[in-house]
Amino acid sequence: MSESDTQSKPQIIELKKLTKTYYRGSEPVEVLRGLDLDIEEGAFEALMGPSGSGKSTLLNLIAGLDSPTSGQLLVAGADLGKLNDTQRTKWRAQNVGFVFQTFNLMPVLTAAENVALPLLLTNLPAAERKKRAETALSVVGLGDRMHHYPRELSGGQEQRVTIARAIVTDPRIIVADEPTGDLDRDSAEEILNLLGRLNTEFNKTIIMVTHDPAAAERATVIRRLNKGVLA
Amino acid sequence: MRLAELGVRNVMRSRFRAIMTVFGVAVAILAFIMLRTVLSAWTVAAEVAAKDRIVTRHKVSFIMPMPAKYYGEVSQIEGVKETCSMNWFGAKDAAHPDEFFGTIAADADACLKVYDELLITPAEHEAWKQNRSGAIVGDALAKKLGWKVGDRVTLTGSIYPGEFPFQISAIYTATRKSVDRSTFYFHYEYMNEWAKTNMPTAADQVGWIASRVLPGKRAADVAKAIDQHFDSGDIQTLSQDERSFNTSFLGMLSAVLTALDLVSIVILLIMMLILGNTIAMGVRERTQEYGVLRAIGFLPKHLALFVLGEAATIGLLGGIVGVAISYPIVELGIGRFLEENMGAFFPFFRIPPLVMVMGLVLALLLGLLAAIIPAYQATKLNVIASLRKVG
Repeated sequence: MSESDTQSKPQIIELKKLTKTYYRGSEPVEVLRGLDLDIEEGAFEALMGPSGSGKSTLLNLIAGLDSPTSGQLLVAGADLGKLNDTQRTKWRAQNVGFVFQTFNLMPVLTAAENVALPLLLTNLPAAERKKRAETALSVVGLGDRMHHYPRELSGGQEQRVTIARAIVTDPRIIVADEPTGDLDRDSAEEILNLLGRLNTEFNKTIIMVTHDPAAAERATVIRRLNKGVLA
Repeated sequence: MRLAELGVRNVMRSRFRAIMTVFGVAVAILAFIMLRTVLSAWTVAAEVAAKDRIVTRHKVSFIMPMPAKYYGEVSQIEGVKETCSMNWFGAKDAAHPDEFFGTIAADADACLKVYDELLITPAEHEAWKQNRSGAIVGDALAKKLGWKVGDRVTLTGSIYPGEFPFQISAIYTATRKSVDRSTFYFHYEYMNEWAKTNMPTAADQVGWIASRVLPGKRAADVAKAIDQHFDSGDIQTLSQDERSFNTSFLGMLSAVLTALDLVSIVILLIMMLILGNTIAMGVRERTQEYGVLRAIGFLPKHLALFVLGEAATIGLLGGIVGVAISYPIVELGIGRFLEENMGAFFPFFRIPPLVMVMGLVLALLLGLLAAIIPAYQATKLNVIASLRKVG
């Protein structure tokens, strides 16, 4: 799989000469070196590369978790480099859904309550929050597990709850950092199928970091990073 | 579910730790309530003292007696309405050698006029006056030792060494709960006659003289007149209104009271540290979760709310449990024991409602105070660093 052929779609992510430099003590470490990248809305892209290549840093920047050192970072209509922490946080709540390698659900909340967490930040009434959480859980195939606590779910089911939490606010972008890293093969297949469905049926733009070539194959575009530059 | 509820739900993340912390807070609140009740009970006697009652004693020391003739002379001083002499007898019931109670030799006729908060019927009073070896005892003492009216009891004297047979003429109650209901009153003459025969040096002496002043007279003025009357005598007196007398007695205990005050504050500080440690541990353990919450859109102030909500819940739960267990332990257990055994010092050992409210409010406030640093740390969480722990 290589470049997508959907050139007519609008760009949702635009990176221009993007750099990110960290400091280890007083020594600068340039993680991303002048990246230029455009991603269309509705794309399903995989980011691959060796450890330390900068793929997680790039994902964090696209997701609005971090700000670039220089360059332009336009995502879902916002110039993220110009937003402060609070503005980026609010932007994330509206535009990005997160799927992590470890599921990190709140153990004291049921599946439905975990999914409804991001909706607590909205002005939606409780009944509407509950309805949307139930809908999201139905989309991921866990309509019958709404009142189960995380400890009562398998790893694959927990990750599906995480995905339901990621889509409950109907974000335009879903970022997934090694979403199948902690799962067995069958569960990983289920999760990848689900991400594929969210992409094709719900037009979600998905950016997935993975080490797993089989997982990357499910994306429409695979990009490789090496030492802070796109290969 | 609401935002604040998340903090409350977090309390039960680690049930054992939460229960132990709540228990720790509860014990601290119990100790606080107990100490504040001791302070309150100790000062209640001074607070409820009769304003028109004067106590006259030897100027040098409370334990030194005065000549019995002073009793008659005090009653003649202008402004004095009633007087009653009293002597600390210091005796024990041989049948209950481990039980301590006050034994006072008094003027049976005048005693109940000066201490009109002690209640017996006129018939009982008359019976007491007619019986040379008669005694009246407080209902708390009678209940504890199983005494009834008409019972014969023999006390063994320590200050006045000997065996003294008595008959219970009446069991007194009191108009106020703050009055000691564990004292044994008997006739001064009964003791004095024994002293004349067996211990002449102790005869015809009184320990202190309690007086009531006439309406319209100031107790302080009458007290001054009494002392001036005895100024030229061999033994000078010190007269104080009852509140001053009780306060001066408490003054001897001021160091103890201050220490109790400090201890109660230290206990609360320890409680705060226990709670702060629990909350800090919880925040540290949930770094990853807080990172995820921040990623999906929660602001630092939301994390602070979760942490403070959790601390407030634990503090309040501990406060409620502490107050709940303080009632049976302090009022029904220790309080009863102190009232029955140390009624002279703790006639009314009950938890003041204000102390209960203070216990609850302090548990809540100190819980919040203890969580300020962990809450601040949660707000300063580095999202990327905490997510790095995740994936």
